[in-house]
Amino acid sequence: MDSSNALQMIDPPPPIVVEDNRPAAILRGTSRGLEVFVNAGAAIDAILAAWVKRLDEAPGFFRGSDVRVRVEDGPLAAGCLARLDEIATRYDLRIIEVSAAKRDSDAVPQPSLAAGSAPSPATPPSLSFDEEPTGSASIAHLVAPPDATLVDTVLHDEPAMLADSELTDLLEILDEPVAPGMTFDEPTQTAVPLSLAATAEVEIETTSGTRLVVGPVRSGVILEHAGHLIVFGDVNPGAEIRAEGNIVVLGRLRGTAHAGIGQEVGFILALRLEPQQLRIGRKVARAADSDTPASEAEIASCTGDAIVVERYQGKLPRNLASSI
Amino acid sequence: MGRAIVITSGKGGVGKTTTTANLGAALAQLGHSVVLVDADIGLRNLDVVMGLENRIVYHVVDAIRGKCTLQKALIKDRRMDNLWLLPASQTDDKDAVSPEEMRSLIFELKATHDFVLIDCPAGIEQGFKNAIAGADEAVVVATPEVSSIRDADRVVGLLAAADIPSRLIVNRISAHLVKRGDMLSQADVIEILALEMLGAIPLDDQVIATTNKGVPAVLENKCVAAKEFIRIAKKLAGHEVEDEAVGFFTRIGRALGLAATPA
Repeated sequence: MDSSNALQMIDPPPPIVVEDNRPAAILRGTSRGLEVFVNAGAAIDAILAAWVKRLDEAPGFFRGSDVRVRVEDGPLAAGCLARLDEIATRYDLRIIEVSAAKRDSDAVPQPSLAAGSAPSPATPPSLSFDEEPTGSASIAHLVAPPDATLVDTVLHDEPAMLADSELTDLLEILDEPVAPGMTFDEPTQTAVPLSLAATAEVEIETTSGTRLVVGPVRSGVILEHAGHLIVFGDVNPGAEIRAEGNIVVLGRLRGTAHAGIGQEVGFILALRLEPQQLRIGRKVARAADSDTPASEAEIASCTGDAIVVERYQGKLPRNLASSI
Repeated sequence: MGRAIVITSGKGGVGKTTTTANLGAALAQLGHSVVLVDADIGLRNLDVVMGLENRIVYHVVDAIRGKCTLQKALIKDRRMDNLWLLPASQTDDKDAVSPEEMRSLIFELKATHDFVLIDCPAGIEQGFKNAIAGADEAVVVATPEVSSIRDADRVVGLLAAADIPSRLIVNRISAHLVKRGDMLSQADVIEILALEMLGAIPLDDQVIATTNKGVPAVLENKCVAAKEFIRIAKKLAGHEVEDEAVGFFTRIGRALGLAATPA
């Protein structure tokens, strides 16, 4: 795809890029509104310079907008946030959220503008922001949360290698980090419009919201939710359920479940836990090849190094209550 | 107004066409006027199974394109006066027809027949979308194999998304193998698919033999599979169905047990 005319918003930052060639900061219009992607690996000055440069190109255009800061490869250096805020104030912008970047996931390219995106390995295909009326329309419908304070969320760590951990009777831990393609970032691919369209609009902060789904969740369906997810019925093989909170399946879990997306702690509870694969946060576990069917409710949880599966005894294991 | 029922499975080779032919013949025997539509455009074979291959002059694409009237494209079965076949085209591909065109075609057929059975191609692409476009209900055929069940599960989801209620036929089940634990039982199948079961067709050499002769098994002899097809046809037509000997698979299904032996 020829993208010479643009959309890579900024020139690669001049002096101090650390580990890669990604720009230190990218300004984009996405389905959530205006977002600044900050490469935490870059120096503070490079980040600020990149952003200022972009804002200076069209100072009036962004005025009064709400901005979400997405930190890639976090955490951000101390003091950086304050200086970002300073610049935001100077350009009459409001930073309404700071969070770890979910690469790719924000990109819900609008077909009419898709040709304008300039994907590169590091920067996900996304709707880049240009000074076009269509672009401004996309922010126009962005509704700011009523309480537009600075929301500070926990930033992702670098994907750590999973520690060796004991095999449970059901699961064995893969000793490799979740590959990028396996994380929650891919856009939903499903032919079944199970009211999934709404998930793209769900705000990150509403993790308290719990979604109830009536099963069975059939093969080929991907269910996503930003909060906790409860399925009444089975999750069949070939189906995938993903939640930023915890997952409870009141039935057989035979597909793939990913709980605690973007978190460190989380659990997956099922009346019959017979999954193809379990993922909690950045950890992955798959059913052992010599798997026997579950005969009672089990809970898979992750509070640190590994995913542990145990019989569910009517209460949450230690340390998990905080994940609710 | 008749009912349009699509026979589908997702996976190929599980017996959609055989099921369509046999259910159609059984429904016709019960006195209903039935038309079978081969929606597998480009790979037609319902005509072969029905033994009507050499009578094809016009096909479904001709009828849709207006090259002939719909009545002219219908082939009357050589054994029964109330059974008709609308053959597929062998030279076009699935894109030759749109779901809207199929919908109006099926609607027209429903006006003049009690049952329109649509033989769906394998897969979930354009051919599938065409086949289900005009259907009021669906019969999902699955064999007791994990791959077939996985595909059937996917198809049931797609049918549900299209607001088409589906029921299940488990095909080629062998009580012998189930008993030995070498085959999934219909209880296993039902448990995953969570569908109402119309019946289970036993693995039966007679079906293969009659299919190759171009005669639906239900017209040829009274093998176990043929009896089960007839029972399913009665159930489809809303007749009272006794759980006779031929219904033992269903009974097992209800009891979720495997204890019964063949009648």
